Amino acid sequence: MKISEFISDRLRRLLFQAVFVMAAVSFLSFTGTGRGVLILLLSFWAFTLICVQTYDFLKCRSHLSALESIMDKLDEKYLFAECIPKPQSLYERRLFALVKQSGRSMIQAVSDAHASSRDYREYVESFVHETKAPLTAARLISRQTGPETGRKLTEELSCIEAHVERALFYARLDSPEKDFLIRQIPAAQIVHHSIERYQSLLMQSGFRIETDNLEQTLYTDAKWAEFIFGQLLQNAVRYRSASPVIRILAKQSGARTVITVSDNGIGIPAHELPRVFDRGFTGSNGRSQGGSTGMGLYLCRRLSACMEAEIRISSKEGGGTQVTLTFPACGPRPA
Amino acid sequence: MFKIMIIEDEPAIREELALLLKNEGYQPIPISVFENIPTRVSEISPDLILLDLGLPGRDGLSLCAELRRNLETPIIFVTSHNSSWEELHALSLGGDDYITKPYHVPVLLARIKSVLRRSVPKSEALPCVNGLTLNPVKGCASANGQTIELTRNELQILACLMARAGEIVSRSDLTEALWNSQIYIDDNTLSVNMTRLRARLESIGLPDFIKTRRGMGYQL
Repeated sequence: MKISEFISDRLRRLLFQAVFVMAAVSFLSFTGTGRGVLILLLSFWAFTLICVQTYDFLKCRSHLSALESIMDKLDEKYLFAECIPKPQSLYERRLFALVKQSGRSMIQAVSDAHASSRDYREYVESFVHETKAPLTAARLISRQTGPETGRKLTEELSCIEAHVERALFYARLDSPEKDFLIRQIPAAQIVHHSIERYQSLLMQSGFRIETDNLEQTLYTDAKWAEFIFGQLLQNAVRYRSASPVIRILAKQSGARTVITVSDNGIGIPAHELPRVFDRGFTGSNGRSQGGSTGMGLYLCRRLSACMEAEIRISSKEGGGTQVTLTFPACGPRPA
Repeated sequence: MFKIMIIEDEPAIREELALLLKNEGYQPIPISVFENIPTRVSEISPDLILLDLGLPGRDGLSLCAELRRNLETPIIFVTSHNSSWEELHALSLGGDDYITKPYHVPVLLARIKSVLRRSVPKSEALPCVNGLTLNPVKGCASANGQTIELTRNELQILACLMARAGEIVSRSDLTEALWNSQIYIDDNTLSVNMTRLRARLESIGLPDFIKTRRGMGYQL
């Protein structure tokens, strides 16, 4: 708070006082009070006024800055009214009560919203886990049909599984700390597991996969990283060209490990590239192929951020896409 | 014949899995009553246990810990929970592998095969077909007193064909076997490798060792 703000706030009160004092002075001088006495009285009045106002100003300023510093330190700003000291004056007490009442209703609303989103997330997780049993049974059953029907069924089932898997990871994003475990893991393990998962899809699409230098280790959560690689592989399959190839190479960059997944697919138009990590963004490729949800790369970016990994993409239309994942040198620091 | 115990509460999965394993030449033992499992396991003494972690009324992890106290039988966990915490926990309790539902059938079979291979002592005899002896450890093959060194791809192709000597092995089966060994090749690369392998076999006096069955695949 500045002095000018303080004065302008009290201007009316000060003006009123000045008018009153002027009136008193003219009355006193009219009734014959001596000049010397008047000057004495006036300077006494001015001195008291300045003292009182200065005291008020300092008190007010220190009070405000104490409140501001409490606010600064708060993570959940809406809890402000719960954290400040109880005020003294009647007026302030009433104001405080009003603010507190409003804050309480806010807190209630926020905790209701938290609870309902947690319930929803738990429901999605249990839904996903429940779905996996019938999907597994369906996969086993599809083996008994003819090879052609079996293959088609398996393809459709894989499609359902991919959607279900994305729903699970989307639900997990809300509280990643719950099921995420950073460990030192060989890059080869993650890459081979994710390829294994999409093996039939990749083989049927006629892919060749070249891997190199995968003996590097990563600090990451294996399941999350496999999910990310799985999304990249699915994209590579979806947007492939004739005689498709995927190259997965790891290299050390300082203390960090960089894994590059590149394909020779149809590529992404330059003007769409900055938005591919946005939620729900489906580019012209996605629209023309159909079945794109715009969630895959969004989830990749969010999950990488949780693991303090960096994800970058570069692409040339007709010249393939290259995704680089930079994994941290060691696990994220405890928060 | 390997005995595989299936501890799984979903009847559909249990039955289908039993059928699948039977077709693959294993002896499946599905379990539908989940009491006294440790006793039953020691009675039956299976070669491998497929253990579902989400059994009703009973935590699969504690069951595994209990089984591990007296038994060395390899255990593969099957679970619908795809989380690193659980995997770490399961493997630290003595599981040999961990696979998440919905699994791809070839992946499950490959895992079963590799766990069994690890637990069963290796036979010393090297595979030998029509005068060709393969030494997978040294990465070479010999016939007529001559030895050639093979590349990783050639070794896997030959191993796959020799394991099914006499049968016709389709190109897609061969590709799948290579992918299972983490050699991710396409059809063209397979042809190139096959041509090179044949030339090398010819150099040690085995022309036409691998026969092409047009439209079907290869045969030794």
